[in-house]
Amino acid sequence: MQVTPPRSLTELFLGFLAIGARSFGGVLPWAYRTMVEERRWLTPADFAETIGLCQFLPGPNIGNASIVLGKRWFGVAGALVAFLGLMALPFIWVMALGVLYLEWASNPIVRAVVTGVGATGAGLFIGTALKLAKALVRKPAALVLVAGCFLSVGVGRASMLIVMPLAAAIGIFFARRGWL
Amino acid sequence: MILADLAFSFGVLSLIAFGGMPSVMPEMQRLVVEVKGWTTPAQFIQLFAIAQAAPGPNVLIVSLIGWRAAGLAGALVALVAVCAPAAVLSWWIADLWERFKDSPWRRAIQKAIAPLVVGLTLSGGYVIVTPATPDWRLWAIAAASATAIMTLKVNPLWLLGVGGVIGAVLLSG
Repeated sequence: MQVTPPRSLTELFLGFLAIGARSFGGVLPWAYRTMVEERRWLTPADFAETIGLCQFLPGPNIGNASIVLGKRWFGVAGALVAFLGLMALPFIWVMALGVLYLEWASNPIVRAVVTGVGATGAGLFIGTALKLAKALVRKPAALVLVAGCFLSVGVGRASMLIVMPLAAAIGIFFARRGWL
Repeated sequence: MILADLAFSFGVLSLIAFGGMPSVMPEMQRLVVEVKGWTTPAQFIQLFAIAQAAPGPNVLIVSLIGWRAAGLAGALVALVAVCAPAAVLSWWIADLWERFKDSPWRRAIQKAIAPLVVGLTLSGGYVIVTPATPDWRLWAIAAASATAIMTLKVNPLWLLGVGGVIGAVLLSG
């Protein structure tokens, strides 16, 4: 597949603007469509590798991807431009929805609908986590870590600042012993 | 100095959000609701809902929280704070990570992080649908949506829409 990276900062900005503008229900599919299929900035393999790295890094995945790709093509300016392009329209959208919601928040039906949407969104998190967990079911050590995180942080409301370093250390120990 | 407080709080979250925002949701809820009192538990689930329904990265929930706490400036500060530290880290790590492609430590770290992301994302979902006192209706909606996303191949936006309708039926009154 013939790929051509964006030729100007304007093109980079407009590409990421297009991703942000259309990304209802998840950014990743739109990032793929825009950068790989429509604008042909990246090969599918390149896209997968970049996203894979960003899923490992802390912070918002797609925000990091805009930084990493913008940097690759245009240095600091590229990173800033890609990030701004990605966030500009969704920021306006979410603030507008927030203002609108505040106007109507005293209406019990509106509150019920929005709370229902929130519970559904939380369910999407749970479903996605369970999908990822399928790869771990045959590894008891991994399940111990999953349960430990869930019981301490989810049910016990312990701070992640304490649990994370501890769990990461145990995880690396398990992995070095070949248990993960 | 609420802006500085927002910047610092979300800056810390940025650096521990391994695997993306879902894994840091329990800490965000704890911080925003229990420690800082910027929103009530019920408001938190509603702001989360708005961020999920709007297009764009789900990280934008922090803008809504910042906005409730300190207006438009709060919204911008929160967004930059949650993105910038991670972005700086990505900037440096992207190259380093490539260089240690074959290191056994890199493989160990990658394998160690997978179960943490699963456990923390589960916690995030659980914490959001368990404001103050457990409510079976919220749990039922979440269980249905988790089942749907695992078995159906649909845009999550449709599920959020259906969830809103079910919410209107079950939760109003």
